[in-house]
Amino acid sequence: MDRWLSLLLLSVLGSFFLFPPKMARAEEKVTIGTVEDVLLLPWKVKLPARIDTGAAKSSLDARELKVAEDRVEFKLPGKYGGLQLRLPIVGWRHVRTPEGLERRPVVELEICVGAKRFRTLVNLTDRSLVKYPLILGRNFLREGFVVDVRRRRTSIPNCPDAP
Amino acid sequence: MLLETKNSGGGTRFLLLMKRVSKQNRAQRKFVSLPVGLAFLLALVLLLLLWEKGRAGEKLTIGEVEDVVLMPWRVTLPARIDTGAATSSLDARDLNVKNNIAEFRLPKKYGNLQLHLPVVGWQKVRSADFRERRPVVEITFCMGPRLIRAQVTLNDRSTVSYPLIIGRNVLKENFVVDCVRSNCLSPSCQEVSSP
Repeated sequence: MDRWLSLLLLSVLGSFFLFPPKMARAEEKVTIGTVEDVLLLPWKVKLPARIDTGAAKSSLDARELKVAEDRVEFKLPGKYGGLQLRLPIVGWRHVRTPEGLERRPVVELEICVGAKRFRTLVNLTDRSLVKYPLILGRNFLREGFVVDVRRRRTSIPNCPDAP
Repeated sequence: MLLETKNSGGGTRFLLLMKRVSKQNRAQRKFVSLPVGLAFLLALVLLLLLWEKGRAGEKLTIGEVEDVVLMPWRVTLPARIDTGAATSSLDARDLNVKNNIAEFRLPKKYGNLQLHLPVVGWQKVRSADFRERRPVVEITFCMGPRLIRAQVTLNDRSTVSYPLIIGRNVLKENFVVDCVRSNCLSPSCQEVSSP
């Protein structure tokens, strides 16, 4: 009898270690803070990103924006290297601002957050008045992130090179 | 006693020991398994206690939009959960500040209630081309099971879809935001249901 009781206790205890009730849920989604460093790929430019659940779409600070047919040319802010980029336009986004309706080109970017790569759509606009060059909005956060505002810079971007 | 100290190595070794013990005589087995069983029971109780404690301080997961109830008036408002906003803000129509009291109405869609609240501060807002000063008041609202007292800035938000923006000043009270979801919690504070 005693042996069976001990075995039962052991199995109950073992199940706690094997299936911790809270860990199982936390694993599905990655918790990030309100600001995270990300890498712009393939150029490996590091940018701090504001994680913004109030923004429907992500946006990037693009300086000297020039649209040529289906492509857009712009520079990253000087603070982050001032890299000149040329990307195909995949769409346009209409944004209501205090000055009226604005049309912003949308491009697809590859970014590295933590150890994972993501392809995500961002709209381009001059954000020189705002603190962060990249805003990650809900279209990106739906890829499996939850936001904890008590934290910031929870991850270091470190993606393995593409094969 | 000797067996018990050996047992601290781990579960599998414990199982092997149990097998070996079962081959020994009954009296000796009783002597061994009683303290071992007791130790495990104690560990189990401790683990359960720790788990429960962890749950009490658990972070509440909320979606990108949540219904909150403004107290004590019990007005339900949909709120945009915004990690990009440092402070929260409320849609105030016909706003008027006299003698440090802010007078305003909630949007018609949410009952048009007239409110008078003391101004606790002013927030400078930098828009693209003009500067603005907005009054800050304190409100109490119920979000999920929690009654929250928080500062909100007042401004006319008639061009925006949500009458209340919940920013980081509220979200730092142990909430995490999951954008795949909305309306995760229904307001369930005692104060909402009691007369």
